[in-house]
Amino acid sequence: MNQRLLAKTFVELADNLVADFDLIDFLRLLTDRCVGMLGASAAGVLLADRDGELRVMAASDEQVRLLELFQLQNDEGPCLDCFRTGAPVIVANLSGEADRWPRFVAAAHRSGFGAVQALPMRLRDEVVGALNLFHAAPGPFDPDATPLAQALADVATISLLQQRTAHRSTVLNEQLQSALNSRVLIEQAKGKLAERRGIDMEQAFTTLRGYARAHNRRLSDLARAFIDDSEALPGLRS
Amino acid sequence: MRSDNRSARIQVLVAEQAARRGARVGVVDVCTAAVAALPVGGAGLSAMSRSAASHPLCSTDDVSEQLEELQLTLGEGPCVDAFTQGSAVLTSDLLAAEVQDRWAVFADAALEAGARAVYAFPLQMGAISPGVLDLYSQVPGRLDAEELADALAFADTATLVLLDSRIDGAGDLAGGRSADGRYEDLGAYRAEIDQATGMLTAQLGVGAEEAFVRLRAYSYARGRRLAAVAADVVAHRLTFPPSADTDRTDDEA
Repeated sequence: MNQRLLAKTFVELADNLVADFDLIDFLRLLTDRCVGMLGASAAGVLLADRDGELRVMAASDEQVRLLELFQLQNDEGPCLDCFRTGAPVIVANLSGEADRWPRFVAAAHRSGFGAVQALPMRLRDEVVGALNLFHAAPGPFDPDATPLAQALADVATISLLQQRTAHRSTVLNEQLQSALNSRVLIEQAKGKLAERRGIDMEQAFTTLRGYARAHNRRLSDLARAFIDDSEALPGLRS
Repeated sequence: MRSDNRSARIQVLVAEQAARRGARVGVVDVCTAAVAALPVGGAGLSAMSRSAASHPLCSTDDVSEQLEELQLTLGEGPCVDAFTQGSAVLTSDLLAAEVQDRWAVFADAALEAGARAVYAFPLQMGAISPGVLDLYSQVPGRLDAEELADALAFADTATLVLLDSRIDGAGDLAGGRSADGRYEDLGAYRAEIDQATGMLTAQLGVGAEEAFVRLRAYSYARGRRLAAVAADVVAHRLTFPPSADTDRTDDEA
């Protein structure tokens, strides 16, 4: 494990947890760092909605195929097991788990993943979601990597708490609902930009995020203005 | 997909109210079912818009009716704030000092009407926000976690009911809604439904709300699942031409 990269990542994450941060933008940064720092091939943060259904809040890649693989785990898979038990689920070789999760293992292999980790996001005594890491190659994980992944899952939970404070929301349920609605908003904006420019969903997301940063806007606010056509947004309209 | 979830249970409660009336599910059934299920005195629902005039759609009693009209007339209150902020506004006691400061005119008028606590829930689906559901209680107090989750589910059901009422020829709905009146679960794979909605805003040159209504109308008319139609849109297997008539939609597949 590269100590300098590790320190840099946590400083960067802490720096981004400022008062007016955007939850989805932040969680995307966190999933990107899971890929960069922990050597994962893909990462996603899933939150449970009020029905206990896991929904993707952020992923290191916005392509539909990856989002589906995360989402598929509402039926079976390590993320669902992790969410239900509140304990980490670490699988170094998915091939050995085909009996346990037949559909998930098949879908993961189709997407080129051979190993997976799922780490619980705990808020006091409640499990609110999970951080899910996929690895292309099967094989034992670096023993230092699992506690680090859990630390990143804890940072994701802290960002929820931080947003709650910023929005003065006192009720977890209501706050999760708002967070999930922001995600819906981002998906709608991605769809609009992708269609308009003939680009894919990941390109649409990075374009929106880049624009938000360049203009010092919260990603959700920008997404709403873009969908509503309520502002000129030069550079994004064309 | 789980069938024992909260959304499904709430939708059954709403469908039962419609069956009792002998009518198709409407927003009034959401209000009636919410009052029966939650510790509140009444419920009201208003259509809200950033660009057009807002107006009350229904209420279960006189107090609720007054609360809706007061807020829309005064332009202040929990309902107005819930719409503007896009999050629930839970007021446990209208007599509280900060509430009196926040809505100087509304708070007293609402107390006089007979309300003591007001909970307002925006109807929303990303950028789509067609209205607000207001619940009131004659006594001060909070909704507990379960009650709040139910109230949020009632608001989500109201969103779908309200948007579906805008589909032309909605009386002949088939497909997407099952016989017991339940709506298709939007939870699973919903990313594609939202992306498709966004794509249709560009294809059709309409707002997000109209785009979603057109997507629903298409899936109803073909008896197909909304998620499946959305997946076709995202994969460019299906394109909606910018015309007013959904029947002329071309299948490219």
